[in-house]
Amino acid sequence: MSREAYQAPTMGGGNQNAFATDGAVSLEGPMVAYLCGECNSRVSLKRGDQIRCKECGHRVLYKERTKRMVQFEAR
Amino acid sequence: MAPAKSTETTWSVGYDTLRREHLFRHPPKDQTAYPALAEAIRPHVDSFNALFDGPKILEAGLKDIGTKTFVDGDFESPEQKRARQAEGRKPPRRNRLQVRVKEVLLEKPALPPTNKFTTRNRNIYPSECRERHATYRGKLRARIEYRVNNGDWAESVRELGQVPIMMRTNRCHLENATPNELVQHKEESEELGGYYIVNGNEKLIRMLVVGRRNYPMSIIRGSFVKRGQAYTKFGVQIRSVRPDQTSQTNVLHYLSDGGVTFRFSWRKNEFLVPVMMILKALVETNDREIFEGIVGGPNSEGMKNTFVTDRVELLLRTYKAYSTHSRASCRALLGEKFKPVLGIPMDTPNEEAGAEFLRKVVLPHLGNQDVTETQDYDKFKLTLFMIRKLYALVAGDCAPDNPDAVSNQEILLGGFLYGMILKERLEEWVRSLAPVLRDWSMRNHGARFTDPAFERDFLGKIVKRTNENLGGALEYFLSTGNLVSPSGLDLQQTSGYTVMAEKINFYRFISHFRMIHRGSFFAQLKTTTVRKLLPESWGFFCPVHTPDGSPCGLLNHLAHKCLIATSNVDVSHLPRLLVQLGVRSESSVSLEESVTVQLDGRIVGFCSPAQARVVADTLRHWKVAGTHRVPRELEVGYVPNSTGGQYPGLYLFSQAARMYRPVKYLPLDQLDYVGPFEQPFMEIACLPNDLIAGLSTHIEYTPTNILSIVANMTPFSDQNQSPRNMYQCQMSKQTMGTPGTAIDYRTDNKLYRLQTGQTPIVRPPLYNAYGLDNFPNGTNAIVAIISYTGYDMDDAMIINKSAHERGFGHGTIYKTKVHGLDDKDSRRGKSRREVGKLFGFAPGAEVKAEWRQTLDEDGLPHIGARVREGSLVAAWHTVRYDAATDSYVNVDGHTHFVKYKDAEEGYIDSIRILGAESGVEPCQSISVKYRVPRKPIIGDKFSSRHGQKGVCSQLWPAVDMPFSESGIQPDLIINPHAFPSRMTIAQMVESMAGKAGALHGHAQDSTPFQFSEENTATDYFGHQLRKAGYNYFGNEPLYSGITGKEFAADIFIGVVHYQRLRHMVNDKFQVRTTGPVNSLHGQPVKGRAKGGGIRVGEMERDSLIAHGAAFLLQDRLMNCSDAQRAWLCRCCGSFLSTQATVTATSAGKAAAAVAVAAASAAAGQEDQQKQQKQRTGAGGAGSLVRCRRCAREAVFEDSRAVVWEDGNGRRYVGGDDVTVVAVPGVLKYLDVELAAMGIRMKFLVDN
Repeated sequence: MSREAYQAPTMGGGNQNAFATDGAVSLEGPMVAYLCGECNSRVSLKRGDQIRCKECGHRVLYKERTKRMVQFEAR
Repeated sequence: MAPAKSTETTWSVGYDTLRREHLFRHPPKDQTAYPALAEAIRPHVDSFNALFDGPKILEAGLKDIGTKTFVDGDFESPEQKRARQAEGRKPPRRNRLQVRVKEVLLEKPALPPTNKFTTRNRNIYPSECRERHATYRGKLRARIEYRVNNGDWAESVRELGQVPIMMRTNRCHLENATPNELVQHKEESEELGGYYIVNGNEKLIRMLVVGRRNYPMSIIRGSFVKRGQAYTKFGVQIRSVRPDQTSQTNVLHYLSDGGVTFRFSWRKNEFLVPVMMILKALVETNDREIFEGIVGGPNSEGMKNTFVTDRVELLLRTYKAYSTHSRASCRALLGEKFKPVLGIPMDTPNEEAGAEFLRKVVLPHLGNQDVTETQDYDKFKLTLFMIRKLYALVAGDCAPDNPDAVSNQEILLGGFLYGMILKERLEEWVRSLAPVLRDWSMRNHGARFTDPAFERDFLGKIVKRTNENLGGALEYFLSTGNLVSPSGLDLQQTSGYTVMAEKINFYRFISHFRMIHRGSFFAQLKTTTVRKLLPESWGFFCPVHTPDGSPCGLLNHLAHKCLIATSNVDVSHLPRLLVQLGVRSESSVSLEESVTVQLDGRIVGFCSPAQARVVADTLRHWKVAGTHRVPRELEVGYVPNSTGGQYPGLYLFSQAARMYRPVKYLPLDQLDYVGPFEQPFMEIACLPNDLIAGLSTHIEYTPTNILSIVANMTPFSDQNQSPRNMYQCQMSKQTMGTPGTAIDYRTDNKLYRLQTGQTPIVRPPLYNAYGLDNFPNGTNAIVAIISYTGYDMDDAMIINKSAHERGFGHGTIYKTKVHGLDDKDSRRGKSRREVGKLFGFAPGAEVKAEWRQTLDEDGLPHIGARVREGSLVAAWHTVRYDAATDSYVNVDGHTHFVKYKDAEEGYIDSIRILGAESGVEPCQSISVKYRVPRKPIIGDKFSSRHGQKGVCSQLWPAVDMPFSESGIQPDLIINPHAFPSRMTIAQMVESMAGKAGALHGHAQDSTPFQFSEENTATDYFGHQLRKAGYNYFGNEPLYSGITGKEFAADIFIGVVHYQRLRHMVNDKFQVRTTGPVNSLHGQPVKGRAKGGGIRVGEMERDSLIAHGAAFLLQDRLMNCSDAQRAWLCRCCGSFLSTQATVTATSAGKAAAAVAVAAASAAAGQEDQQKQQKQRTGAGGAGSLVRCRRCAREAVFEDSRAVVWEDGNGRRYVGGDDVTVVAVPGVLKYLDVELAAMGIRMKFLVDN
């Protein structure tokens, strides 16, 4: 139980945002970096952006592994 | 540079751990290390390649389509024609438009030109299609030519949509990719191809059994009688295959008067023509030539066969009635009749149309394009031969050919079928110009093809209006497996051509490509003859590997060494060779005198039976020796003379779609290929001691060649009872194994993965040859065969809890779900302004902390998040495109969510954001891969490799497990009762072999047929065990884990490779007390997915009655189902006439109360109780229930106390003898239904 509680501060803040490149949270929504499925480069996209890699034009982007602490109670 | 050492491709039985490790870390840059695996799917890939390369089947198809002619102007009816001729006017001049498809081009998959963002590499690779749930397809283009009235041909290239492309074929980017390149492109290092990717699913066209091509088969079929008057059950049928691999079946029917009719079907209609008309139309001939062609020369033995001479005479005499004798007149007659059927323009001369008919329909394998006179003569000769064979069948001189035997079958390959459909679509496309042209002419006030407007409009307006999307048709075919075809393609089924290539594990996957289906038509057949395992199948179809149940015997698998020809071999010089060997053209109906020599259904000549044998033997020797340019793949089908057996002759086959397999030719000690037609008449020994001196010509390389890949993996399968091997073939395909190493890039709906796969200690060398260690399928387990704890009854097994904790059988399920935002399921074709929803939280609106539990700020979950039922998986909001700012604006500030629906807990494994091919669309769908861990729990299914499946019944603590003297505990305990009735001796042998292998540290060869009664497996492995210091018999003294005392008996304990099957309780358990019910009758719904119940059916009911468990029955059938309390009139016994009275005002209510009081005072005690019951029964509504039927209308004199009122304000008296009963809801429903039909149900209620 105590472990679950530990998790709270990491998500409560919301600005513990590993993705935000430079805190550019505009009205258009936050910039979030994804990984290109082809060249593995980081692609920062915001809401409503066209989906493609800026480097190679690939059309599948992966979401990055979270940097947030992911912890579960092992039972 | 010195040539690098190429990758070694030979494998032994050993573990080769370092070699495999190296291969895995450094995928070879030259060639695959497992050529056997690539060989297994070759037929699929090669048949697709043959469409555009090599034989260029599609080009042949275009030639068969030929030039289509369209005429303008109005069609002249016969009356108009008569009137015109009476006036002496010339026929109106009609212009001819000719269109032909010159060339078809299929491009490799690439980005559309509208995508301007990618410049470097515009190729689309298969992995992208899988990840985007798209189709791997390339652009199809056709070069068409057209001209008007013999003018110059004009040319144009039309785009015909995008056609799905088979993986690793000549239209795929990865055709010749090395394992290293494959890995670069996110494929398996041993990616085989052979399938299509349609909407992200891997689909393949499965191989289908069809009749052997170009071989006249004699058939006795009762249904032939139904063709018409005088038809008999006798027929000779030939499946004549054109160069483009499409086929046309021709049948000769025997009539009871001795006549013969020629039958064919064209565009799903059947036509019958007198065979004599065909014969006379083919060549310029006379009755004598036909007579001697069937019977033989005047001096031949055949003249004495009065059975045939009588009938041929009759055949010739009856044809006199048609009084068409010359070739020209016969052709004209045929042409006139078949012009509309074949779609030949009406202004074509009849004779020309007749020639076209002969080209297209009559034995097209002998001449399909630019038919020469010799080819027509070939057709003539073969027709005569077919008549001869038909008479022999009727006379009983030869037996009917068995269409269910492999010797009379060949394989319809996926690529060829694909080509056939493509060809037909092309033809339909050209034909579809006709209505569009007519329409164009009508709209433009009867415009002619010669008008200048035509040239302007033809491409832009006319061709454009046709349905040019051929790719869509093929995609539909692949995704549904339904064949939409006006001609039926000479096939017997319209659906079920494609299957999903499921990657549950590698055995399952590879089996799809070796699978051969008999056709869904036969699945409905009541008789089981088609399902029988015939000796002809030896070496071609695996006798073990067929499912049990409904597809048994219809769904076969190829033996692992069986090959399928995908192209014709060059035999152009063979006829000359045969003539040199003494084949001549004179023949006779007498089989003692002459037998036929045919090459691919063309009659080369005839010779005596003795000579036919010599010719066959000579050819056989030459083809193995490789001399005289006789190809080794040639099938030399020598059918010897017999009394009433198969019709004799020498039939040579060289064409595609045949099966063949390697055996050793003894005289030269060399490889020979044997086909199924020749095999029944050859002497092929299986083992050296089967050899018969002077008779045997061939010997099998190894007896395991007859087994399929999967069947070969059963260890020591020769020592099992045969059905167990069948079960094992089934179960190994349902094993939770390793589908591949590129799991990260796969997006299958459901993927099973075994976390702790091991290589089996006991396996055949083929296991390595097929590279199966790349896809481990099970775990080696210490198995004790002992009855312990009682939890191992009835095929249950006990798993050691510590083994479980160490990871025994641990598995994972990956589920991929596409969460799309568009309402319709179309994932493409949306312009920028049409976008109405976007992922993410509504901008500006507040984001609750609980939402952020699983979601990141982009509204998508973070990788690794745990999701339960109802967890948020994605956030979205509605938007409107604002052109002024070129952005999307959200108005309502409301965030919606996509939720996780499954009951089982999972983790987010990966998230893909899917873009469109055009590269300009915002994110409209995401593909989320969920990972559901599945450790073994009680109720999960396991099996050894011997069809011995069982369910885990307990995870038994290690301290309580029995242990041996060396301290070994079993991982698994199975019950000894699993063995006596099932006789899976091989599992015992495997147990010993595994134990010995583990002790000595080497792999054990488990190839079947290596041990015998004299040299037993138990002795071989027993000695190994003894060498390791163990009991020779594999038994060991074991000590009880509970008491610590030694068991009275020694226990058989060893190492067995165990598979975990994908059937797990978590996917199966079904339990309910309450839950969703059917809205109509209130009974529980069915189906696990809907939370329904399991039916307690008649048999279960009977059983409960027999046990006297009445309360249980009451509970199941009433209380847990649709029990209801319902009002019933005791007087008239009806549910339907009871109704609640209306107490409209409080005054009325008071009045009612007074009435009740008054009534109770007046009536006796009994009535009072009843009244009270009524009031409570009505659910406290306060109103009373009365029977409308038993009541009478109130009159003025009636006391207000006894009068009641219905909803319409009408007043009644009486009908108060009602009561509440508990009944099933359906009963009331039944009553209503019956009432609707005018039937009244009356219920008698006691007490």
